[in-house]
Amino acid sequence: MAGLRIVAPGVERPVLLLRALLLVLPCAALALALPEVPHWLVVGLVVAGSVTWASWPDHPAGAVVLVSVAGWWAVHDVLDWRVPVVTVLLLAAHVVATVLSYGPATLALDPHLARLWLGRGLLALVPLPVTYAAARGLDPDLAPAWTWTVAGLLVVALLVATARLTRAEEE
Amino acid sequence: MTSWRPTPALVRASLLALGGLAGAVVLGLTTLAVLAAPFVVVAVMGLVSRPRHDPVLRTRIDHHRLHEGQGTASRLDLDDATGVEHVTRVAAAMPHVATRPTHGASGSLVADGLPTLGFSPRRWGRRAVGAERIGLTSAWAGWRWGPVDMPEHGLSVLPQTAPYDSRAEVPQPDGLVGRHRSRRIGSGTEFEGIRHFAAGDRLKRITWPVSLRTGELHVITTRAEQDAGVWLVVDGLRDIGVSGGIDGAASTLDLTVRAAAALAEHHVRTGDRVGLLVVAADGARVRLGSGPRHLHRLQGTLARVRTEARSVPPERLDLGASTGSVVYVLSPMLFTPLVDATAGLQRSGASVVVIDTLGERDGGADRLALASLAARMQKIERDARLERLADLGCPVVPWRGPGTLDTVLHQLARRARAPRVRRA
Repeated sequence: MAGLRIVAPGVERPVLLLRALLLVLPCAALALALPEVPHWLVVGLVVAGSVTWASWPDHPAGAVVLVSVAGWWAVHDVLDWRVPVVTVLLLAAHVVATVLSYGPATLALDPHLARLWLGRGLLALVPLPVTYAAARGLDPDLAPAWTWTVAGLLVVALLVATARLTRAEEE
Repeated sequence: MTSWRPTPALVRASLLALGGLAGAVVLGLTTLAVLAAPFVVVAVMGLVSRPRHDPVLRTRIDHHRLHEGQGTASRLDLDDATGVEHVTRVAAAMPHVATRPTHGASGSLVADGLPTLGFSPRRWGRRAVGAERIGLTSAWAGWRWGPVDMPEHGLSVLPQTAPYDSRAEVPQPDGLVGRHRSRRIGSGTEFEGIRHFAAGDRLKRITWPVSLRTGELHVITTRAEQDAGVWLVVDGLRDIGVSGGIDGAASTLDLTVRAAAALAEHHVRTGDRVGLLVVAADGARVRLGSGPRHLHRLQGTLARVRTEARSVPPERLDLGASTGSVVYVLSPMLFTPLVDATAGLQRSGASVVVIDTLGERDGGADRLALASLAARMQKIERDARLERLADLGCPVVPWRGPGTLDTVLHQLARRARAPRVRRA
């Protein structure tokens, strides 16, 4: 059908490329599990969520996709070389969605903004090798009991701080 | 009231970071800690970059009066840009207004300068530009202010000054000073002849070469130079065809208004006095005048011409024009009363020229379609009206830009110089 358009007029090629990346990256992060095939429900959720996310980068489907992929890897308790790769892919998807969410689809990609976020993405990856090495090298059974209490309290404190910071100002 | 709100990106990163850390601690899933680690950085940086002040935004456009096809820029003033990293502007689509960037979305980092939107009206008239939505984003895309709707700005778009020039003189110049050659001899610069010196001649008119050669004093005679009264009658009763702006097809009203603007500019620059009569539901009349300010007034009046279905053609055109005036009637001549009014003007002694602004119209692919038949019938009636006008001695010329009126004006000038018998 000649009249059918799947891309809105005015969307430039770099933006299309980023949207395609947004579709592919979470699926690739899940595909790393092959030859083990995740449950069809997870596959369906990730694929459908990725399509929605690529169409609307601000859509909550993005969070659902990230949580689904991360959850699948966590539940299967895999801690080999694939986990850092999955992390990089998920972070890349998040950064791409963030860059796309600055305006409508017709907004041209600003090279300065893209460069800025590339740097930020690399910066965000700094704790990854440390965390991976710690998770691989430390034995949780040997850690003192108070470690978990302190970690739990720290998480609660972070949750409260985030909730306070993200609360909208009184109007 | 708009305030800084967390972006979906921040919510996503916070969810991943906190969910991952909580899952790792509570459920003992160490993989989650690895997966969440980069998102902790993104979430924390986004959270701490919350701007403290609400910005004040204003937009302004560089020009409020333009010719169609010209462009202006809409600029953004941001009072307090502390904490703002990125600005996005999205202009609303407006009919007959082109934007730059093409689809009206522009964004940039504040460090690179605030984004500018370009507008270019493609058709004369009153246009509204600058209606847009603006969104501000903090560092690490953590917080967003807006998008807020900004008010539009009014823009008066004058008709395009189509290239028009004519070397023909107006037939009966009647003013005191100007650039048209008068029929009377006077103190101009236009050479008329050489004759013997007579008492009362100015000494500076003596031509010494001829006087020395002939041995008798001779003087050069010149013609006076006069301005002329030019009336433009603009038919704004109907608009036939679809206007595509200056880049596309022209409707009859487009042709009429642009032709009138071109003629007004030409005659004002020549030094003539130009008047304007708009025949429309809310018609307008501009008295004879000259000079750049008067030209602006004429163009502004032309830019306000609008057609309305309730418009009725006038019985007579009351210009108060003297016999020496030239009247250009710019019309597709679709109404018999307007043709009668034009004929009446011609009979009153004015030099009337009808400029046909119907243009080339496509009759449609299907010649037997109702619309096509109606158009052909209307054209036959119109041709009959134009022939009637031509029989009365009123020339009818289709508008073709530069030189459209040269031949016609030459003929009118010759006719004006010919001796005429006045009926008692």
